[in-house]
Amino acid sequence: MAKQNIKKIEILASIKDVKDIVDLIQRKGIIELSDIPDDDLVDKLSTSQSFGFYEKYLNESQSALKTLDKYCPPSKGLLESIIPQKENLSLSQYLENADKANIYLGYCYDINAAQKQIEESSTAIARCEVMLESLEPWLNLDVPMKYTGSKTTSTFIGTLPGEYSPETLRSALLPALGEEERYDCEVIHSSKNQTNVFIICHNECKQTVYEALRGIGFAYPSDPTKHPPCVRYERYKNAVEDFKKKSELALETIKENAEHRREIEFAYDYFSLYKEKYSAIGKLAVTDNVFILNGFISERNIEKFIEELENKFTVAVNITEPGDDENVPVEVKNNAFTGAVEGITNMYSPPGKNDIDPNPVMAFFYYALFGIMLSDAGYGLIMVVGTSIAKAKMKLEGAMKKTVDMYFYCGIATVFWGALFGSWFGDIFEVVARDFFGIADLGAKLNELLGFTVFRSGIALWFQPVQDPMRLMRYSFLFGIIHLFAGLFASFYKMWKADNKIGAICDVIPVFLLITGIAPVGAGILSVNVPATLKSTGLIMAATGAVLIVLTAGRDSKNIVGKLGLGLYGLYNTASGWMSDILSYSRLLALGLCTGVIASVVNTMGTIPGNKIAKACLLVPVFLFGHIVNMAINLIGTYVHTNRLQYVEFFAKFYEGGGRTFTPLKTNTKYFNIKED
Amino acid sequence: MNLTMGALLAILGGVIAAIMGGVGSAIGVGTVGQAAAGVVSEDPSKFGKVLILQILPGTQGLYGFLVAFLLLVQIGVMSGDLVGGESGLTVSQGLMYFAACMPMAIGGLVSAMYQGKAAVAGVGIVAKKPEESGKAIIFAAMVETYAVLALLISILSIFSITSIITG
Repeated sequence: MAKQNIKKIEILASIKDVKDIVDLIQRKGIIELSDIPDDDLVDKLSTSQSFGFYEKYLNESQSALKTLDKYCPPSKGLLESIIPQKENLSLSQYLENADKANIYLGYCYDINAAQKQIEESSTAIARCEVMLESLEPWLNLDVPMKYTGSKTTSTFIGTLPGEYSPETLRSALLPALGEEERYDCEVIHSSKNQTNVFIICHNECKQTVYEALRGIGFAYPSDPTKHPPCVRYERYKNAVEDFKKKSELALETIKENAEHRREIEFAYDYFSLYKEKYSAIGKLAVTDNVFILNGFISERNIEKFIEELENKFTVAVNITEPGDDENVPVEVKNNAFTGAVEGITNMYSPPGKNDIDPNPVMAFFYYALFGIMLSDAGYGLIMVVGTSIAKAKMKLEGAMKKTVDMYFYCGIATVFWGALFGSWFGDIFEVVARDFFGIADLGAKLNELLGFTVFRSGIALWFQPVQDPMRLMRYSFLFGIIHLFAGLFASFYKMWKADNKIGAICDVIPVFLLITGIAPVGAGILSVNVPATLKSTGLIMAATGAVLIVLTAGRDSKNIVGKLGLGLYGLYNTASGWMSDILSYSRLLALGLCTGVIASVVNTMGTIPGNKIAKACLLVPVFLFGHIVNMAINLIGTYVHTNRLQYVEFFAKFYEGGGRTFTPLKTNTKYFNIKED
Repeated sequence: MNLTMGALLAILGGVIAAIMGGVGSAIGVGTVGQAAAGVVSEDPSKFGKVLILQILPGTQGLYGFLVAFLLLVQIGVMSGDLVGGESGLTVSQGLMYFAACMPMAIGGLVSAMYQGKAAVAGVGIVAKKPEESGKAIIFAAMVETYAVLALLISILSIFSITSIITG
């Protein structure tokens, strides 16, 4: 269990087997490849081209899927939309489909071309519509906009700023034209900002009229038509229709291809596998006849892997211990119970080179502390049932499976603590018993029925935190000390294993003595009856611990003053650090109370009416809504604060982190699981 | 029921705790919500992660409510049977309750506002490095410690004052 022993592996084989061997490694998913630098002796395979192709295909299939999602969304169940379900494929099915990858890619091209057509059509339609809009004012003009006149007449077709009627236009031109009568104006279209005009005049007064028109802001249209404007208008109308039809046809194509969704999903997985494979091949070194593959492998997989490799290929495999200066990845392996919190640890940081795997130590505490803070058996039950259903109904794997497992165990712990504290959806059982059945003290009644005392206070198996918060606070500190001691001994184990036996003894034992010794005195302050002998023994222990810390904490210093100074500083640090750490566990009480009290408030609000029927009618919706909200808020709070206790208080005692997660080359798929036959 | 000046002061304390916790949370949750909306407009898939960050400064409102509620229960407003016997709560007893509520009121207001700021910065982490969102949550949660401590001292004070008064 725990942290795996990682070895370096070097494989030499004939270059003709390179693809098959990388295939095998990818399917096994147990080797992390390292890049071999190019030098005088070896070359690199140029894979950038193939890599680029597969990347392009991958993008094609991805955008095809996106298009399908947009126009023909798949019908998915609620659960499936949260956690995607992968379909299992046997190796032979995989290979069969792989042969058809090109056909599948064809579907992607069709869909993407259609999508492009739809996009282009919609821009073209928009463009045409702008043109149509600009032509609309000219529709009443029955000559081409370029028309300039006959032998004896000249025409001016254009726009004027502002609104004119034929009469107002005439009067506007009057000052400039005066007596001139050989012209006529026609207003084709007039709006507030612009008037489209047609003006005809005798050739002889062409210049005068033009200048008069310029005087009031006449302008020729920017894009005059060769035919009457309605001709061009019709043309654009038809174009819009055409594009609409094209767009519809393209949509048809997409809808027809919707039945190929599974195939395209396969293509997506297939191309992403190939993309990764070629990026892996790019890390190899080659000579004319052989290739060299370097990587890291977990010790437990070595024997079987080499056997399989040697059976299938002619290879030379070399296993070595990684050097100290190498950036060796970290892999942890735990059982379902302890491994479920791996996600929490990794969120902080994967274990570093010198770390022990913290998951086995922290898993139990994580669940227990989570339970105390959520502390409602009803909510815990919902978690247990919910996660059990998820585990039974869905194919969960990897990190998702671990998260679901974690909430399962957290749920069990929550039921445990909730039962001890007598909180089942707050005090719903007691409230219902009191308000509907007239049983004042449900716990006492049940004890009577059972014949012996099970429920000590209310329906709590232990005690109700609301009745005696000080008691839970004392226990919170106690749980805190136990948790911190676990961290302290983990650091002892870590140092001892690293052959730092002096450090292990000097840094752990005195602290342990000091805290254990002070604890009875602290409990006395928190109004616990502590026997005097225990107190005095404790004080002796604490004093011994303190002296030992002063003597040993400065052991790295050279001179006696430095030793003493650092020793005193160490004592101060230890004492203040541990005090604030232990006090931090008071949040167990605060969050526990928070859940319970608000749950009770919900129940109280639901039972305000005096009439039993009205009460029942109100209680059901208030109960459902109130408890869902309370559970959601407290789940988040509990999760965050449990993490904090692990990260800040617990990890600070022994855990460094800073490792790099082992990321083997594997079949990283999204839609299908490829199983070996 | 003896509604005295003392009872009024006690209730006032609880009400202030609820108000100030709520105001702080509203400010905090509001500011984080703005930042979160910005991230979601770029990448809707980050909704879940930023939502958790947004909810974080919301707990102070809850704690303030909790203190107010416990106070009302402890001084007997909820049951209609006020503590302090025939003469009701004295002014000094009422002031004790009032003082007990102040840590939550002030601690809740200030911590929620600053937790909101830390969470806004955390939203920035989610935007750039979504895989590190756990760390963003922890940074914001660090601030909450002081709200939790304020809540504790308020609750413990209310409980012990009641036990002093009722003997």
